[in-house]
Amino acid sequence: MKIIACIKQVPDTTEVKVDPKTHTLIRDGVPSILNPYDHYAVEECVRIKEEVGEGSVTVITMGPPQARSALLRCLALGADDAVLISDKAFAGSDTWATAYTLSLAIKKLGSFDIVFCGQQAIDGDTAQVGPELAQQLGIPQVTYVEKVEINDKHKLTIHKQTEDGYHILEAKLPILLALLPPSSFQPEHPPMSSILKAKKKPFNVWDIEILGGDKSRFGLEGSFTQVIKTYTPPPRGECEFIEHDSKEAAKKLSEILLKHEALSKR
Amino acid sequence: MVDYRFSEEQELFRESIKEFCKSEIVPKTEKLVGARKMPEDIIKALAKFELLGMIIDPEYDGLGTDVVTAGIAAEELARADPSCAIPVLYLVETSWGHLLDKYGTEEAKKEILPKMIKGEQFVGIATTESDIGSDLGSMKTKITKKGDKYVINGEKMYISGVAEAMEYGGGHVTLARMKPELGTRGMCMFYLPLKDTPGITPTYVEDIGREGISCGGFDINNVEIPKDYLIGEENKGFYIVHEGYELARGLIALVCTGAASKALENGIAYIKERKAFGRPIGKYEGIQFKLAEHYVRIQALRELAYKSLWTYDQELQGKASRFDVSMAIAMAKSVAPIWAFDAIDDVMQWQGAFGYTKECEDQKAWRGVRSFTLAEGSCEIMKLIVARELLGKEFLAYR
Repeated sequence: MKIIACIKQVPDTTEVKVDPKTHTLIRDGVPSILNPYDHYAVEECVRIKEEVGEGSVTVITMGPPQARSALLRCLALGADDAVLISDKAFAGSDTWATAYTLSLAIKKLGSFDIVFCGQQAIDGDTAQVGPELAQQLGIPQVTYVEKVEINDKHKLTIHKQTEDGYHILEAKLPILLALLPPSSFQPEHPPMSSILKAKKKPFNVWDIEILGGDKSRFGLEGSFTQVIKTYTPPPRGECEFIEHDSKEAAKKLSEILLKHEALSKR
Repeated sequence: MVDYRFSEEQELFRESIKEFCKSEIVPKTEKLVGARKMPEDIIKALAKFELLGMIIDPEYDGLGTDVVTAGIAAEELARADPSCAIPVLYLVETSWGHLLDKYGTEEAKKEILPKMIKGEQFVGIATTESDIGSDLGSMKTKITKKGDKYVINGEKMYISGVAEAMEYGGGHVTLARMKPELGTRGMCMFYLPLKDTPGITPTYVEDIGREGISCGGFDINNVEIPKDYLIGEENKGFYIVHEGYELARGLIALVCTGAASKALENGIAYIKERKAFGRPIGKYEGIQFKLAEHYVRIQALRELAYKSLWTYDQELQGKASRFDVSMAIAMAKSVAPIWAFDAIDDVMQWQGAFGYTKECEDQKAWRGVRSFTLAEGSCEIMKLIVARELLGKEFLAYR
């Protein structure tokens, strides 16, 4: 089974601070990490490969040369080989141009069975690249996937998270799955032996020349959207934390709601 | 130009161990308070992440990594557990496991090292006695040859990990005199198992810090060990013991770096928030000057410490001499606990009355780091080593 995982290196948003005056994000000095959704996706890819007992997991990303470390981490988690798609021409790509670039790389890799993506990246939170990639590859997609079971080499059972439970779906291959980790997910931390092995695995860097494709569809030029500004809205109104056990808290809350006439007494 | 960058593997390792510490170690550190013995699940977690004995030869289940990488682990473990209990267990096993790996017999290495690496047995160091520390030549514990065995009599004191070795299994790399008339030239190094060994009687003392690892000693009464447990040659123990100590000292310098860096981060967060006389106390020059001084010293310490372990690696590859190593390590260890302690002390001072309570996290680091002005060679001895290298052996004060 040939599996491809699309991953992204992102700033660790738990470390990002907000400028109190401009409300913009301060990214300076913020460490880069493997997008946590993608971390789950890669672990799932490796698990499925091991369950099937044959095949390969290829991880790909589009990003600057520094994104190499995120790919190496995926190799340390058990992926077999990596492709870094890196060229200045890709700078400024929106989700559509990114999906186009990734689709070219996936086509260049040859046939595949499943493409995994994280549901979204913690920096942009758009959740658009996965579906757009499926569209450009011309394959079906399922999003919000928590779990995948392999029935045979051509069919999957997919547990898709919904607001009130799961949809259990059956799907044929090839397919793109956007994964959302369960709340219980504990990411694996690759030990040094895995890191040493990762360094010996195949690692390719592809630029615009190697990738080919329509040059007008890359980067800023190929993007339909642009991020003008990222900011955190200043807090509005007042917030009161009710710190009691649940019974006391409910009582206190009802008092407040009554006071503000949000509830009426019967 | 000098290239100060860590290798790609080392950077990845640091990223991974930071996450490991955040999820596997930090939540467990509360258990260390008053424990007086390392909880078994922490040892297992360290083993699962392959930290124990990572520099040991893969033939004995180690990873064969370089010493600088082991230093990264020491620094990060100290950031996660600034009480320094876990870092002590880690650095002791790394250093004395390494000595066993380098000088032990094939039989001993096969028997002991894989178990230590899996977290099934503890390996410590026991040279100190009730009334001797740095003055190893005055040691009283004796080792004598009896057929194809050795017999040991004496006592060891102020030893880390006695309860761990007694209960989980394992033992201590130990030093004793074979030919007292030869002084330091008549000493042997050997492995002394503690658990279920007839003739071993443990005693325990309470350290003021590092509460998560035991400290104590043991009487050794006619204890027999097989000849395979000898480490290095007979009467050469004094010469090789320093290789273990030097590695431990270099790692300690990074433990001090990690614990102090964490305290300074805590301090920075505190002085930005805490207000006095209408403004954050971080706005006062009295605080800023101290912060800057400590930050510079801890960064300088970090450079000294990694340089010392890099020199150790160079020596293992035959590219540096033992003297280079002694000097580099002694320089780092001579200042590490003092600079770190001073930094942590001021972070506690910034926190006012709260800083002097056990609610304050930094007091754990304060008590833990304080041990290293003494442990594995006092700061004073480190200065003697530096001065010896500068002046020559004819200026040794104690000869």
